[in-house]
Parts: sequence; C-alpha cells; structure tokens
Amino acid sequence: MADAPAAATLCLAGVRKSYGTGTPIETEVLHGIDLTLVRGEFAALIGPSGSGKTTLLNVIGLLDKPSSGQLFIAGQDAGALDEMAATALRGRAIGFIFQYHYLLPAFTALENVMMPMLAARGRTDDAMRETARNLLERVGLTPWCDHKASAISGGQQQRVAIARALAMSPALVLADEPSGNLDTENADAVFDLMRDVNVTSGTTFLIVTHDPRLAQRCDRIVELIDGCIVSDRVNHDVVRRG
Amino acid sequence: MNPLAWFEAIVAFRFMREGLTQTLLIVFGVALGAGVIIFMSALLAGMQANIVRRTLNFQAPIEILAPEQVARPLRDGRSGSVTAQVQPRSQQLRSVDQWQKVRGAVAKIPGVVGVTPIVAGPGFAQRGDATKSVTITGIEIESYFDVIALPDKIVTGREDVGPLDIIIGTELAKDLGTTVGDKLSLTTARGIASTLTVIGIFDFGNKGVNERNVYVSLRTAQNLLDLTGGASAIEVKVQDPFAAETIAQIIRGGTDLEVDSWIRTNAQFFSAMAAQILANTLIRIFVGLTVALGIASVLVVSVVQKGKEIGILRAMGTARAQVLRVFLIQGAFMGLIGALAGSLLAWGFLLLWRGVAKNPDGTPLFIVVIEPSLFAIACAGATLVGILAAAIPARRAARLDPAVAIRG
Repeated sequence: MADAPAAATLCLAGVRKSYGTGTPIETEVLHGIDLTLVRGEFAALIGPSGSGKTTLLNVIGLLDKPSSGQLFIAGQDAGALDEMAATALRGRAIGFIFQYHYLLPAFTALENVMMPMLAARGRTDDAMRETARNLLERVGLTPWCDHKASAISGGQQQRVAIARALAMSPALVLADEPSGNLDTENADAVFDLMRDVNVTSGTTFLIVTHDPRLAQRCDRIVELIDGCIVSDRVNHDVVRRG
Repeated sequence: MNPLAWFEAIVAFRFMREGLTQTLLIVFGVALGAGVIIFMSALLAGMQANIVRRTLNFQAPIEILAPEQVARPLRDGRSGSVTAQVQPRSQQLRSVDQWQKVRGAVAKIPGVVGVTPIVAGPGFAQRGDATKSVTITGIEIESYFDVIALPDKIVTGREDVGPLDIIIGTELAKDLGTTVGDKLSLTTARGIASTLTVIGIFDFGNKGVNERNVYVSLRTAQNLLDLTGGASAIEVKVQDPFAAETIAQIIRGGTDLEVDSWIRTNAQFFSAMAAQILANTLIRIFVGLTVALGIASVLVVSVVQKGKEIGILRAMGTARAQVLRVFLIQGAFMGLIGALAGSLLAWGFLLLWRGVAKNPDGTPLFIVVIEPSLFAIACAGATLVGILAAAIPARRAARLDPAVAIRG
C-alpha cells in the first residue's frame, strides 16, 4: 500500500468520515474505507440507500474532508491540501456527473462545457471554445451547442454533463447515479458514452448506481453497506468479453 | 482585453440576467435613491450659491472699520474698585486711522483680490417736496468696482461718478421721480448739502438696497460727512467668500481695527446653511443605507436561489475568491447602473425645475448649475455602496459547502 499512491489514480487508506464531531449526536458514516483505482478502471459503487455512497463520493471528490485516513488523487496527498489547493486539484483532476445533470440553466450547452476551463483559466479564449465544441461533438450534441441548458431534453443534458466532466481531461470521473433519472434507452446511451470515453481516453470512472443491470456492465463492482466495503470484485463477465 | 470575457463577469451578468425582474427592480430602486441625492444636492448647492451671490452683490466679504470708542469706568485710585458706572458712549463717524497704510498691507494678504476705501454715512435725498433717508457711500471708482460689481447692476446711465454726480437705486428713483440727468439735493445731519446730478440708476435685486443706497465720489462723501481725507471703512474682496472669516482674523491680528466678515454679519444665514447641509447629509446617509440594504437583500435572496449553481461551480473547480467576486461584481454593477439611471432622472428633474421654479417676472427663482462632478461622485459612491452591500451575501456564497449546496 505504501508505494501504491503514486501509481494509482485514486487511493484511499482507512478513510473515516463522521458528522457532528464533538457533539452527542456524532455519527460515523464511513468506517475505514480502503480503496484503490488504477488508471483506466471502470468501477461501479453499489449499495443500499444510506450506506454512505454519496458521502464517499464527496470525500473522494474533495467536496468533503475525511475525518481521518489518507486520500491520494492522481498521486497527490489530497487529505493534506488546504481549501484553495483542494479546489484547484478538484478542478484539474476530477470530473463530476450528477444524477440531476446540474447544468447551469442560464448558460448554453457550449458554455456549460467551457465553464470548468473558464474557472481555471480566468477568461475565455478560442482554444477552450474549440475543446468544448469537440467534446459536444463527441457526445453527439453539435446541433444543440447554442441551446440553453434548460431547453434541451434530460438525456441531452446528461450528455452535456459528461462533456463538461471531461473538459479538463481529468484523471478521474465521479458519477453519482448518472442514469438514475433517465429512461432505459437514454440510460444505456449515457452508459455507453462513458464506457467509450473510458476505453478511448483511459479515464478512470467511479460510478454510483442503484441499477444492477448497469453495475453488471462495469469492470469492477464495489459494494458498500453501512459505511464498510463488504465486497470488491472483478466482474469477470465484462473483463472476459472486453 | 475585454473585461466581459472574465469568468467572474460572465457568471455575474448571466446571474443578473437570469433574475432580470429582481435586477431591474433593484436598479430602479438605486436609481430613485441616487436621483434624489443628486437632485437635492444640486438644489441645495444652487440655493446656497444664490444666497451667497445675492448677499455679496452689495456687501463686501470683509469690512474694516475704526475701533469702537469705549467709555472707561471710573475707578478708585487706591483700591481699584469701580466707583461709577459709565453709560456706553455713542459712536461718531470716524476715519480708519492711516487707512492708506492699512489698505496697502491688506492688499498683500494672499487670497485678497480687491481693497477699496469708502466713506459711508446717513443723509437725506431731496427733490422737490420728496425727502428720503439714504445711506451715502463715497467710492473710489478705480478700486471700488474690483470689490462690488456695481457697473453690472447699472440699468440706466453710467457708473463713473465725478464730484458732482450721484448714482441711485431704482426704488429711490421711483420715489423721488428722478431719471438720469435730473438733479437732487443730498443733505447730511451736519447740515452740509450738495446738489448732485443723477448719472446712473442701479438695481441690486434687493428692495432695501435699491431704496437706501446712493453712491457718490469719495471726495464728495468726505465733504458731506465732514471726514476730509478720511475713509470710514475699507472694503475687501477675497477669492473664496467662505475663507472671509479666516482672512478677517489675519487682519484683526495685525491691527487694532474692527474687522467684520460677511460670515459674522450674516451669522443667521450661515447657521441656517449649516442646518441645511446637516439635513442633506443625513438624508444622503439614510438614502444610501436604504440603497445598500436593497442591494444586499436582493443578493442574499440570489445566493439562496443560486445555491445549487454555486455548488456546481465550486465542484467544477471554481475558487471561493472567484465566487466572492461574482457577487461583488453584481453589487457594483447594480450600484453603478442604478446611479447612471438616477443621474438621468435627476438631470431631467433639474431641467424641469428650471422650467417651473420661476419668479413672477419669468426670471429663474435661482440658478441651478448642473455640475458634472456631482454625477461622477454619485456614480462612484453608488458603485462603492453596491460593493459594500454585496460583501455579506458574497461571503455567504463563497462559504457555501458545495456538497450541501448540490444536494440542495
């Protein structure tokens, strides 16, 4: 484990997370999580509601700080970073895809995809416009580039969200029920898209899902129950087929 | 470098456009506030300038007089106690001691732009059966017009009074039924009389002055008032009328003379003006505060409404400082645009005022100068108020926990 962090995209060692620390109602949600994802992995995180999936995803995504334990992202000790450095690392190394798309409704599809680059570089330039166009082309939304995010369908919005998550060429993409809000057809399309990015770009994916059908299509399935990883297995069906 | 290409500006303007109704309402509110402040300030400045101008029309900012004569109480030689109370003595018309020297010395004081000797005293103007009591002012035409703009006030005739000439006001001319070229007799209490020709009629826009003041040459007044070679007062004009008291004190310090500044002689007007300024300042503060609270409350609501979007922005790597600036820009913009609109509003009202506030004869009640610097200061001030008002909501936005904000 000691030399693993440098090679891994993501490495958690003994990560615990408590809420209400120091109060009588202190509750520990994550009880010592050890998890390592290497470059190019396509992993599913499953578990019942309230098992701590979203909390774990927030900790990994640097939206929340672990109460104890170590966290390495892209070889960097993320647990030791201050707020500003953590924000910078999050912008650079992690892409988010949320269940409800969470696009900025006041902006067009293209502008939504540009936003992480804009936040990082401070001002618009032609290169980021080009990158955003290419990403939208990749998710098949070229005709909807200049449509307001609020004016396109749910499936399209989720594809914009995927394009946005990839804008900074992150090492790791965290997806929280990316297809939970979509019909089967759209869910499959979104899933296929993520898989395609994973294969062609080598981007590591960690996907929280309730849908056993989709989980079965991932390389690896990590199961979380009551804040503990109860099973972590390679999905041989997929690996053999792939 | 297009500032609108900056991340913070792009997000700020999009947020404002998204909540367009809110934005427009608050901009309108700021506009009203800024408009009221600008309008009031311009009006007050106009009113003050007007009163100052009207007062200093016929009154020199500083007047130097001979020291008052005082009667000493009688004291007991040994104990020093007062043995008899003496009534204050009556003041006779006296010349300023060595007035030529005083004049030379005062002219050298920085800020002084005109010095002139006068001889002033009471008298009667008589024509036919009509007699009017007047204040005779003997003037030295070479220097007097540097202090009082009498030539500008002449409505008929001319102003260069010779030894046998007199200039009178419009009211007196009416009362005595005289016009330019007529003769009238001027008599003083000492029984000295002189027949003078009216060469000019002035109008200072003040009935009392037009009725009472008459101007003759210095020499004529000296003869009439039995003050040969003397000057009963020296009048001084200063660059800045409001510095008159300071300069008066300098003169007072160097001599034992009586020095009156118009600030002292018009103390009532100045206390009224001070009260007006205070009231205006208070109104400015409260309107400013109201504007600030309006902007702050709109932004507080906006932070709550945009919580999820702020969370998304933060998740995408937007720094806290960037979120802070997004909201500060909104505050500054609302302040600035509001003030610009307010400037237009105030400008319109001032034009309207000019058209409405008129004397019965059609001349403006007072001249309101539309000062560009006032608008510039108002806009800068409103922008600053906007930024300050945005500080609290902006800090709240920056401190939002993205994980909590996204979950909503």
